Amino acid sequence: MTYAIETQALTKRYGKNTALDGLDLAVETGSVFGMIGPNGAGKTTAMRLLLDIIRPTSGSATVLGQSPITGGAALRRDIGFLPGELLLEGRVTGRSLLKHYAEISGPVAPGRIDSLAERLGLDLTRHVRTLSKGNKQKLGLVQAFMHEPKLLVLDEPTSGLDPLVQQEFLSMVREAQHNGQTVFLSSHVLSEIQNAADQVAVLRNGTVVKVGDVASLRASAIRRVVIDFTDAAADDIRTALLALPQLANLTVADGEVIQVTGTVEGHIDALVKAIAPFHVVDLRVEEQDLESSVIDLYSNEANK
Amino acid sequence: MSQSMTGRFLPLTRRNLADSWRGLLGWTAGVTGAIFLYVPLYSSFSGDNAGFEDIIASLPDGLASTLGFQDLASGAGYVQATYLGLIGFVLFTIAATLWSSAAIAGDEESGSLELTLAHGVSRVQIMVERSLGVILRLLWLSIVSALLILALNDSSGIDLEPAHVIGGCAALFGVGVLAASFGLAVGAITGRRSFASAAAAGISLLGYILNSLGNQSAGVEWLHNLSPYYWAFGNSPLSEGADWGALGLIFGISAVMLVLGGFVFNRRDVSA
Repeated sequence: MTYAIETQALTKRYGKNTALDGLDLAVETGSVFGMIGPNGAGKTTAMRLLLDIIRPTSGSATVLGQSPITGGAALRRDIGFLPGELLLEGRVTGRSLLKHYAEISGPVAPGRIDSLAERLGLDLTRHVRTLSKGNKQKLGLVQAFMHEPKLLVLDEPTSGLDPLVQQEFLSMVREAQHNGQTVFLSSHVLSEIQNAADQVAVLRNGTVVKVGDVASLRASAIRRVVIDFTDAAADDIRTALLALPQLANLTVADGEVIQVTGTVEGHIDALVKAIAPFHVVDLRVEEQDLESSVIDLYSNEANK
Repeated sequence: MSQSMTGRFLPLTRRNLADSWRGLLGWTAGVTGAIFLYVPLYSSFSGDNAGFEDIIASLPDGLASTLGFQDLASGAGYVQATYLGLIGFVLFTIAATLWSSAAIAGDEESGSLELTLAHGVSRVQIMVERSLGVILRLLWLSIVSALLILALNDSSGIDLEPAHVIGGCAALFGVGVLAASFGLAVGAITGRRSFASAAAAGISLLGYILNSLGNQSAGVEWLHNLSPYYWAFGNSPLSEGADWGALGLIFGISAVMLVLGGFVFNRRDVSA
C-alpha cells in the first residue's frame, strides 16, 4: 500500500491558538479522500501545510513520498491545488491567467484547458475580475486539473457551483481517479463528500475524530426509528426495549396503537429481533445522511 | 531545478510586466510631462536679464539650500534642482513605493500569492522575479528620462554632456531601486503592504531630509554621509558625471536588502 499523503502528528500553532493538533492521516494513492468538519476544524490549515504555504510547528507530512518543504517547486508541479478562498483579480482574461499558471505548473496537454472550460461552462475570454464567484471557482478548478497532476488538493471545491456543475465536477473527480490520480478534498457540505469520496476523515478542533469509508460512517450513524404496535402491552414492549443498549431516547405512547420512537446507533438488527415477538403494524427507520451522522459524532464527542 | 528550466523564461516577471503595462504607461506619461514642463523653461530663466539669481536671493535663508536651488543658473544645476532632485525623485519614490509594496505584500494581502506559491515556483524565484519586474519598470522610467532630457538638450539650452545625463539618470534609478528594495524586502518579510510602503517611502524621505539638513551649515554637513540621496546626487552628476562608487554602494545595499527579504520570505508562513 502506498500513500499519496501521510501525516504524523502534524501540528500548527499560531501563538496560543492551535489550528491543527497532531493530525494523523494516510491517503492511499489513487483514492478519493474527503475531509469534513466545521469551519475552523483545521481543514484549510492541513492543506496549506501540504503545499508548503505554511510550515508545521511540529510533526511531519509526506506528500508523494517527499516532505513538502524539501520537495519544493518540483513536488508542487505534481500537485493541483484549489484554495478555499480563491481570489482572482486583474484585467486579464481567464485564458491568459491559465496560460500563466500553465507556465509555472506541470506540462498541460494542448486543448486540455479548452475542454475543461467547456465541460464546466466557463467563458475564457472574459476578464477575471468580471467573473462571478462560481465562474472564478470554475477557473480555479481548471487550473488545478489542467496539468493532470498526480495529486489534487481541493479545498471546498464545489463552493459557489450550481448543482449541474457540481455533477460535472464529480465526474471530473471520478475520471481523475480512473487515471490513477489521487484526490484529497475538503468540505463542510457533507453531501459533497458523500458522493465523491471513498474514505472520509472527520476533523474537529484540529484533530481527526473519525476515519472510515462512507458506508461504515453511515453504519455507525444514528437512525431514528418509529414503530407502531397493536395487540400488545405497552409495559412489555418497554421492558423488552429498555434491555437494548443501542436504543436511546425511548418514548412509548400507549393507546389503541402503541407508538414507540427512539434512536439507534449502529445496526438495527438487535432492535428488529427484540420487537419480533410483538405484533408490529409499522416500522420506519429514517436513515440519516452523513451530515446528521457527523453532527451526532460531534455532539457525542462534546458530551464526553 | 532542471525541470524549472523547461518552463518558459521568467514567467513571473513577464506576468508582472503584462499586468502592469497600463500603469507603466501612465508613469511614463507623468515622467514625460514633468520633463517637458520643466526642462524647456530653463531657456526663459537663463541669460543675463532673466533675473533668476535675484529670485533665488529673495527666498528665505535656508529654503533655497533645502530645495537644492543653490545652482539654478547652470543647465546642470537647473535640471538637478527641478527634475532629478525634486519632481523626478518624487515620481520615482512614489512609483517604487507602490510597485514594491504590491509585488509581494500586496499580492499576499489580496490572497493571490497563495495560489502562485502552490505552483511549481520557489519562494526565492518569486522574490527574484517580482523584484526584477519592479526594477525593470524603474529602469524604463530612467531610460525615458535620459532620452527626453537628451532630446531637449539643445533646444532648452541646458547644454549637458550626454554621458552626464546618463549618469544623472543612473543616480535617479539608484534612489528608485533603493526605495524599491526596502519595500520589496519589508513586504517579503512581513507580508504587510503598509509596512512595505512605509519602508520604501521612508528610506527615500530619510535620505532627502538628511541631505537637506546637511545643506544647512558646515556643522551638520556630516549628515550627508548618511543620506543615500546625497550619495546619488551630492557630486552633481549632471555636471560631473555619475559617482559610480556611490551608486555601487546604493545598489549594493539594495542587493543586501533583497537577499535579506528573500531569506526570511523563504522561511516564513504565507498568510491567506
